[in-house]
Amino acid sequence: MLIAWRYRERDTIIQRLDPRARIIFMLAMLFSIIQFWDLRLMLLFLGVAVLQYALARLTWRETRRVWILISIIIVFMTILTFLTGRGGVDYAYHEEHLIHRLGPLSLPIVRWHISLDITAEKTIFALSQLARMYAITIMAITIPYTVNPSLYGVTFRGLGLPDKFAYAMDLAFRFVPTLGRDFTVTLDSQRARGYEVEKLSGGLVAQIRRLAPLLVPVTINAIVGAEDIVDAMDLRAFGVGPRTWVHRLTYRRADYLLIAASVLLFVASTALAFLGLGRLWVPAVLLRLAAG
Amino acid sequence: MTTGEFTKNRVITWLIVLIVFVALLALASLLTSGDKIRGIAPLGVTAIGLIGVFVVYLVTARSAAWEVGTRQVVYMAIGAALYGVFNYIFNTIPMPSVSQVALRPSICIPIFFGYVFGPVVGFFTGAVGNILGDFLTGWGVYPAWDLGNGLIGMVPGLVMLFADKKRSLNFLTILVAVLIVVTAALVFLNPQVIGPWTGEIEDFSFWAWAFIIGGVVVIAGRFVLERINVDLAAVNLWGTLGIIIGIGFAAIADIWVNGYSFATAIIGEFAPAAGPNILNAMILTPILLAAYRAIQARTGR
Repeated sequence: MLIAWRYRERDTIIQRLDPRARIIFMLAMLFSIIQFWDLRLMLLFLGVAVLQYALARLTWRETRRVWILISIIIVFMTILTFLTGRGGVDYAYHEEHLIHRLGPLSLPIVRWHISLDITAEKTIFALSQLARMYAITIMAITIPYTVNPSLYGVTFRGLGLPDKFAYAMDLAFRFVPTLGRDFTVTLDSQRARGYEVEKLSGGLVAQIRRLAPLLVPVTINAIVGAEDIVDAMDLRAFGVGPRTWVHRLTYRRADYLLIAASVLLFVASTALAFLGLGRLWVPAVLLRLAAG
Repeated sequence: MTTGEFTKNRVITWLIVLIVFVALLALASLLTSGDKIRGIAPLGVTAIGLIGVFVVYLVTARSAAWEVGTRQVVYMAIGAALYGVFNYIFNTIPMPSVSQVALRPSICIPIFFGYVFGPVVGFFTGAVGNILGDFLTGWGVYPAWDLGNGLIGMVPGLVMLFADKKRSLNFLTILVAVLIVVTAALVFLNPQVIGPWTGEIEDFSFWAWAFIIGGVVVIAGRFVLERINVDLAAVNLWGTLGIIIGIGFAAIADIWVNGYSFATAIIGEFAPAAGPNILNAMILTPILLAAYRAIQARTGR
């Protein structure tokens, strides 16, 4: 099985930025977004996220599948939150103004009464929640398509991760194609022995157990092979002194600007949230609707 | 600087951080009559949690479980790569019968790596493996879920802090029993409290019973499994605990990140993720462990 990364070389503004600066920006956006509930602010954040997505120039073809799956999850979770009560923690909003009540519907046997209150606050909360989740997701989706996998170790080293962990990260990214090949070889050899992964029969437990002939050989083989890698690394005095990296990352002016903007964004957001600004905003139209 | 001095300096640094943090919270609470402080409560809870984890680390700092040498580096990389590749394969390759039932057979990887190679390897396997898997599928990067997956691998690794598996099980049994007794007593003494997620007064006595039943099941499970094999009991109990803590962390973090209601976090995320994960882990991890023990016996490593 050929396991390929989503990354493609593209000459875009986004890809020319230092990956460290981009990760700092993504985290600053995430931690700023989660401090607010105001739909207007959410739309602003969403705008920034969409802008960086557009600058990355990803095509619909390569991201279609992910968009569909993620949209299903986001919409489902928003509806579930709308149906099951107050979203967020209790400080998102306290009082609610009823627009319409559906029900109550009584269930025949258990005699539960189910009713759904559509309130001004719940409705606007659902909208901000949608905008918020999309903003976070759009920021997150761009990364795998635009950051070169071979730069991960050095990126996280640059962000302060100790040498050994950064190197382990690098190594993990390099093992992926080999393990993908091992998986295919194992699948083929088990098939040659009559193992049919397409026809797993039996109960739930039995079906899960039947995945063991695939999982176990690949894992154990990798572990057995690891001992040789450990020896090879020890012989080359791994971990004795500080490491040097094949790829070198250098911050340029645009990267410094992006990091400064990220810090500013986070500090400003925290200050605003602390002053109590940016909480759930209920438009007057909805309140008038609630008042009848 | 000797190791002792180094540890002492770190303890002092962290104590200062903790004191400053608490002082700032108190000051903020004083200035804003306690209302606005709720807005940054998630950050506060996270910080206190992190400091708690660090205190556990300091107390057990001398244990070999935290050692990171060449072996650990290689196992971290292999564990993370395996977890990422399996996540990708079982999520995207059309194997109808597999995707219907066994949602995540790959969950056994972080638990196994944590249990066998220690908490650091386990955490790395879960966290970086999840990042890798999301990279391969193109989903993006979600820090809360990466950390949650890291915890799934780290918790089973804590077994290494104990002299042997039996003692770790005894500790776990006592911990579960004490927690259940304390929680149940608190709830029964004062069942009507303000719900932390809804802000309304609710009756929590149902949860006390749920806790008691859950606790009894866990403790009974320990003794039943232990009669077969101590290793089996330990890997299953610590693995289950890891999944509950890891997925629980991610689902609750999503209340703050995505604004879910508590019910959404439980019905929409925790239950569908933790349930199949626990089932898959309980079946596949012991098989993997048995195969590993056989190889270990053969090669003498």
